[in-house]
Amino acid sequence: MQNGKIKPENLLRRSPTNRKLTTGCEILDGCLRGGISCDSLTEIVAESGCGKTQLCLQLSLCTQLPISHGGLNGSSLYLHSEFPFPFRRLHQLSHTFHQSNPSIYANYNDNPCDHVFVQNVHSVDHLFDIMPRIDGFVGNSKTRFPLKLIVLDSVAALFRSEFDNTPSDLKKRSSLFFKISGKLKQLASKFDLAIVITNQVTDLVETSDGLSGLRIGNLRYLYSSGRRVVPSLGLAWANCVNSRFFISRSDGSIVKDRSEKDESCSSSVSRSAKRRLDIVFSPYLPGSSCEFMITREGICAVQA
Amino acid sequence: MEAWRLPLSPSIRGKLISAGYTCLSSIASVSSSDLARDANITEEEAFEILKLANQSCCNGSRSLINGAKNAWDMLHEEESLPRITTSCSDLDNILGGGISCRDVTEIGGVPGIGKTQIGIQLSVNVQIPRECGGLGGKAIYIDTEGSFMVERALQIAEACVEDMEEYTGYMHKHFQANQVQMKPEDILENIFYFRVCSYTEQIALVNHLEKFISENKDVKVVIVDSITFHFRQDYDDLAQRTRVLSEMALKFMKLAKKFSLAVVLLNQVTTKFSEGSFQLALALGDSWSHSCTNRVILYWNGDERYAYIDKSPSLPSASASYTVTSRGLRNSSSSSKRVKMM
Repeated sequence: MQNGKIKPENLLRRSPTNRKLTTGCEILDGCLRGGISCDSLTEIVAESGCGKTQLCLQLSLCTQLPISHGGLNGSSLYLHSEFPFPFRRLHQLSHTFHQSNPSIYANYNDNPCDHVFVQNVHSVDHLFDIMPRIDGFVGNSKTRFPLKLIVLDSVAALFRSEFDNTPSDLKKRSSLFFKISGKLKQLASKFDLAIVITNQVTDLVETSDGLSGLRIGNLRYLYSSGRRVVPSLGLAWANCVNSRFFISRSDGSIVKDRSEKDESCSSSVSRSAKRRLDIVFSPYLPGSSCEFMITREGICAVQA
Repeated sequence: MEAWRLPLSPSIRGKLISAGYTCLSSIASVSSSDLARDANITEEEAFEILKLANQSCCNGSRSLINGAKNAWDMLHEEESLPRITTSCSDLDNILGGGISCRDVTEIGGVPGIGKTQIGIQLSVNVQIPRECGGLGGKAIYIDTEGSFMVERALQIAEACVEDMEEYTGYMHKHFQANQVQMKPEDILENIFYFRVCSYTEQIALVNHLEKFISENKDVKVVIVDSITFHFRQDYDDLAQRTRVLSEMALKFMKLAKKFSLAVVLLNQVTTKFSEGSFQLALALGDSWSHSCTNRVILYWNGDERYAYIDKSPSLPSASASYTVTSRGLRNSSSSSKRVKMM
């Protein structure tokens, strides 16, 4: 809306399907009808070690693929609130990605890591400080690729210790959720960005009011590693995202590998473990699920 | 209607009123000669006045307060008001046939329960032509959350077109050979879509709606998805927020009445701390809960989605189950009691 003229948008001008960012795994893409949607806030919920960060790193690289290959022909901004940032893992994935897609980088003599911008975020206030800079960055960027993906890994870490459990603190916390979501959605809409936010889970502790077990979405219960879990940050935050995907692992499928080659991965990340993605809610996807695996090469379909 | 509203010269008007003839009913029941004598005017003047008074009685209401209607007229109007189907007959039934025009209906529920789905379904269904039992109108969709996806709207529109084709196939005799069939793209075109990214944009848009709708009189539904989102951020002055929201609610009510359209406000759910514990409530607080004519709450009951009439001036409390399919909203397939009266 500009110049005081308020005009509706012509929906026919939009593409009949939203632009999607491939996850790099065709099983996941199939489940998600192409991948992560642009102009939308997608939340990925999982317990530690399930592969949220892996998926985000992979998405950051896939952004650079041409649109014909499911990419966004763009660069990505990786905001991380968890420490340390897995630089070595990113380089590892980037190396594989470069080898698989040499043509993208041949003429420019650069490499995929050059187009993943990493920024640490240590508090909510810090995040609000960064936001206007993102606006400027996307608008004036003279880099080769325009910014097309923003990852926030994770939102839960930003709120970990700053707030008590009193009603007034929870209310303050809630309004910050909406402020963060509002600003990110504004960026997504303005620049047609895909925005991915990761979130943790906590074990379900039944409270007397029964609200902790409140059902949100297609799954009655969320299970991971054999335990019943709920996404962190509660009902308020759930209202702030457009789509919620849940990644889980089942009991006993973890294969720990401490070999030298895998020093770059955190020791709790399994080398070849099955994961399951469930669509908890989404404005355009039916509730469905699929299985995938995480390997050295990244996220891929389940190997038979 | 008061006597001074009649188009008379000031002197005659003054004489009428000082003689005690202040309302039409008193004039209408008197003869011209009596009127002339009481008001100290000529018989011709009295006759003119009586003629005018009778005309006004026939044109407008006989009531004492300008613009008031009697209950029979209102009942007749209400019964003949069109309603927008939700495509789920169980849900339509507890709604008295569908979402009513001339009213503001609030629909709230947890994330993922289907609020946006209902919003899109209504913006498609309002366009069902009169020959197929619909309103043949257009929709305004105000998206504050970015949940509206063209591909989903197209899916629902395609299903609607298919259903209509089936319907006109059955009603073969009413189908005209040269009738232009609606295409899904036409349906998309008839949804006036506004993406709103801040509360100031939202307020500006709502203020602009009256002008827009007067220029697009075939709009029959205004959907706001959601009314809440931009108002749950940091609000320094909560009293101001309440004021802004009630003004907005009032504007919507006026739009609904003035243009005979349905306003559907989708709302989120929050936890309210009351009586020492947390309870589920629709967002935006207690004062907002008075702002809508009708309120429907969507919730999970086991693995089924249910809608519950929480507030309505005319509908009984009841709940009905529904499902969200690839074709849009539909009846739930389970055969167990789908509609429960309270």
